[in-house]
Amino acid sequence: MSVQPRPGEEPGGGAGGFLGQVISGAALLVLLALHMIAQHFVVPEGLRDYAAVIDWLRSPIVVVLELAFLAFVTWHALLGVRAIIFDYGFSTSTERWITRAFAVIGVATVVYGTWLLYAVISAA
Amino acid sequence: MSEQRPVTPAPAARPVERRRGWWGWFDPRGRRLGGWAFALNRLTGLGLVAYLYLHLGVLALLARGPEAWDAFVDFALNPLVLVGDVVLIFGMLFHGLNGLRVGLVGYGVVASRQAALFVGLMIIGAIVLVVATLRVFA
Repeated sequence: MSVQPRPGEEPGGGAGGFLGQVISGAALLVLLALHMIAQHFVVPEGLRDYAAVIDWLRSPIVVVLELAFLAFVTWHALLGVRAIIFDYGFSTSTERWITRAFAVIGVATVVYGTWLLYAVISAA
Repeated sequence: MSEQRPVTPAPAARPVERRRGWWGWFDPRGRRLGGWAFALNRLTGLGLVAYLYLHLGVLALLARGPEAWDAFVDFALNPLVLVGDVVLIFGMLFHGLNGLRVGLVGYGVVASRQAALFVGLMIIGAIVLVVATLRVFA
């Protein structure tokens, strides 16, 4: 049995992308595990009700961890989709535009998530 | 003295998936376990990206107040949603653990034992999935 990757199977759209995927992936292994345990598995019905969510978000540590999770998961997700798209072969200039588009989507995602967190905390 | 021959690097092989289109992900011809892991890694990755944005959309209910959020919490206890949760956990476990293997092997760590590493990680993932499924339906 072999699980040797074939040529081109490495994710990330190049060596830099691969390193980015490894770094963000390693961070996500920890942050996602924390998120799943703290947000779901230790909660009786798997999801906190509104009052419990607000109470939970009063902790600055929770807020920092959730924001870090959002940043790393967005980075990892969009870098991964970019790598899949790049596998289908585009010119260098098109790849540059695709990278810019994903950068805009990534920043918008993190800004939206941060705003949402702020809106929920400040509304309480 | 041996004759010096010019060394020409072999041209980089194009990914099988690019040659066959995205259907190549499911093409069993010449595909080894690593190829299936690759295809499933990409499928779970795309599913998780879709879920990321769905999750952010659902979390917007928190900004609409307690009625909107608590109604969603009730909806999330629907058995079909719980089955979706198990599928999601499978995707996270496979993508995360296979990604760990790809990262380690990519940097030469346990590269010679990667088949054993893959099987070991998948066994761990299966155990965690069973525990998580029991927890979801508890």
